[in-house]
Amino acid sequence: MAPLGYLEIIDAKGHVAERVRIDEFPITIGRAYGNHVVVDDPYVCPRHAAIEPDGQGRVIARDLDSVNGIHIRAGGKQVADLEVGSGAEFRIGRTWMRYRSVEHPLPPTLVDREGGESRLASAYALAGAGVLLIAVLCLDSYLSAVERVTAAKIVSEPLTTVVMLLIWCGAWALASRIVVGRFHFSPHAVIASGALIAVFMTNTAAEWTEFLFPIIPALRIAGILGTGVVLAAMLYGHLRFASMMRRSSRLWSALAVSVAVVGASWIWDYAGRSKFSNVMEFTGIVKPLDAALLPAVDIERFVDNSQKLKTDLDALAQKAKASQP
Amino acid sequence: MKNFFFVAAGILFWVIATAVVSAQLQPVPATAPEIFKQFAANVVKIEVVETGSAAKASVGTGFRADARGRIVTNYHVVSKLIHSPERYRIDVTDESGQTAPATVLGVDVVYDLAVLSAGGPAKSFLSFEPKPVEQGTRLYSLGHPRDLGLTIVEGTYNGLLKHTLYPKVHFTGSLNPGMSGGPTLTHGGKVVGVNVATEGEQISFLVPAERALALLERTAKQESAPAGGFLAEVGRQIHANQARYLDGMFAKPAPSVILGPYSLPTKPTDFFRCWADAVRRKELPYVVVTHDCSTDDNIFVSSEQSSGIVRFYHQLLSTAELNPAQFFTLYSSQVQAGNAAMFGNEEEVTPFRCQTRNVQSVSGKFKAVLCARQYVKLPGLYDAVLRGATLGARNVGVVTTLSLSGASFENVQLLSRRYMEAIQWRR
Repeated sequence: MAPLGYLEIIDAKGHVAERVRIDEFPITIGRAYGNHVVVDDPYVCPRHAAIEPDGQGRVIARDLDSVNGIHIRAGGKQVADLEVGSGAEFRIGRTWMRYRSVEHPLPPTLVDREGGESRLASAYALAGAGVLLIAVLCLDSYLSAVERVTAAKIVSEPLTTVVMLLIWCGAWALASRIVVGRFHFSPHAVIASGALIAVFMTNTAAEWTEFLFPIIPALRIAGILGTGVVLAAMLYGHLRFASMMRRSSRLWSALAVSVAVVGASWIWDYAGRSKFSNVMEFTGIVKPLDAALLPAVDIERFVDNSQKLKTDLDALAQKAKASQP
Repeated sequence: MKNFFFVAAGILFWVIATAVVSAQLQPVPATAPEIFKQFAANVVKIEVVETGSAAKASVGTGFRADARGRIVTNYHVVSKLIHSPERYRIDVTDESGQTAPATVLGVDVVYDLAVLSAGGPAKSFLSFEPKPVEQGTRLYSLGHPRDLGLTIVEGTYNGLLKHTLYPKVHFTGSLNPGMSGGPTLTHGGKVVGVNVATEGEQISFLVPAERALALLERTAKQESAPAGGFLAEVGRQIHANQARYLDGMFAKPAPSVILGPYSLPTKPTDFFRCWADAVRRKELPYVVVTHDCSTDDNIFVSSEQSSGIVRFYHQLLSTAELNPAQFFTLYSSQVQAGNAAMFGNEEEVTPFRCQTRNVQSVSGKFKAVLCARQYVKLPGLYDAVLRGATLGARNVGVVTTLSLSGASFENVQLLSRRYMEAIQWRR
């Protein structure tokens, strides 16, 4: 025989904790073992409420003269009886529940684009990302060595970074194990390595941009925006393996954290900047490049441009003078 | 017997030697006590007093220099009052212990001199030595070192400094803080110079007497502060001074020095001194050659600010071992080096603002950074640092820096242009 409906007990997170099949009306709910639905809640009476049709085609929950009554979600008001056929949630004692008829409409089935084993979890991905990261770190260590160094020194320098990365991935793996039941260490490692390589690439691109076009504060832009984007992408990836969140909510969470981090660093920067400083702030990055390929202005133009510097300084001096007693 | 002879000869020699040495160490016959007795009454202690707490903020020395009782001292002794006349006053105390308030009549910030008036006409005063003094002449300096009471210090005259734009007497004697503004006298009690600075180990400097005489004459009719106060006057003097000494600097044909493939400016005028050195260490895979030139005419503006110095230095980096990427890591750090904090506080200077471009010159391209800040209290005066780093080569480059302090912006621009034009190299 097909069921008439279900009574669903809701847990604190809003998830269904228990689903009780209803084959006949009325059903009773209470702490006593003679009920159809037994609730372990000290605020619920032995026979607390009943669910039954009212004869006009509606399903209602009726209070059986209980001590604490029936409460509805909206406003927490106490009611003697309540229409529950539409799926409204109600509370008896401290337990939330709802009635679901068999015709209750369902949301459309989600298309699963991420099911199965991710490609990031494969051994090839892990090996590839690991080798690429170590290669990038060693190359950086080699190219920035300005003293005579041994191969061992060049290889040992990236070690700290790799250890930090492993700790980071370990933390994510642990979170994954707690939330979704699996460590997923390999995809976490691939994602973190990818993020680190992306940061390195962004920084290198920014250095070249700032060298070629000193007028663009590329390093500062990359420092704020680049880091923000990479951080968001990395969190989005980690959450894919460490939670059951949907794509959109993962994206929003990742963006929110990233914006918060970038915002905090900007505030930090701004707070430090507003203080007086004698430091000359400029980036003197130079790169080995054939001079013919380098955009440049002539000396005359450079000197003429400095008029803007004077305008800025005059304004600063005016401001400083005005603020003095 | 032979031994006895040697011992006796040894003792005799020792006795004679001791006698000779102690004779040399004996002070010159009692002139210092006489000079002190005769002229101490014309020397005064100058205290700059913070009016709020009625406690002294600084102590210096001065001396009465004419019949009107006007007092000559250093600008830096009274600079606190010049900067904040509402917060300080000057008290002058003479040898008898009498204290009188003083007013400033004139300043010469370039030579670090000030003229004050306190009380009425003087019974006696010190006059200036009109004749040139010979090197080695014994001189006597009077002052209040660290407020320990009037002191006399002996020393010798060693001529005028040869490397400075403005003449300064090289006095070999121990001047100490507090003696600033005091007179240095000849045997006959005539003023040769005004105590101004010391570099320790008996190396001290005096402002030549004729500069003090010139300031006295210039301010003969001055009764009160000039229009806009003395601070505006200080600004005008520094302005006029920079216009004078920067005029023509680095103009073509500028003297040049060859460092590797580069031809760079060096010793543009006689009042620069240049030094050079190289770091060539076995353990380093690169070589740094430095060439550093600077003027030595520092102008004291306030205890937090000085002005007037022009300095430029070149650092040639080259390597036979590093690859281009490694060399440019080193080169970049050198270009950025030294942009650390400079002297100066918020009340006196604005923060720096910088402009960075890649610049094309006749020889090739280089990175140029111009950073400048303005003096807040002395409008129209700027500190500026121009840095250039040649580009295009793979294993050699020169980082060159020009720094100006207390210059007009027109001069900052003019000298920057000339300096950049003077950086040349063969490709």
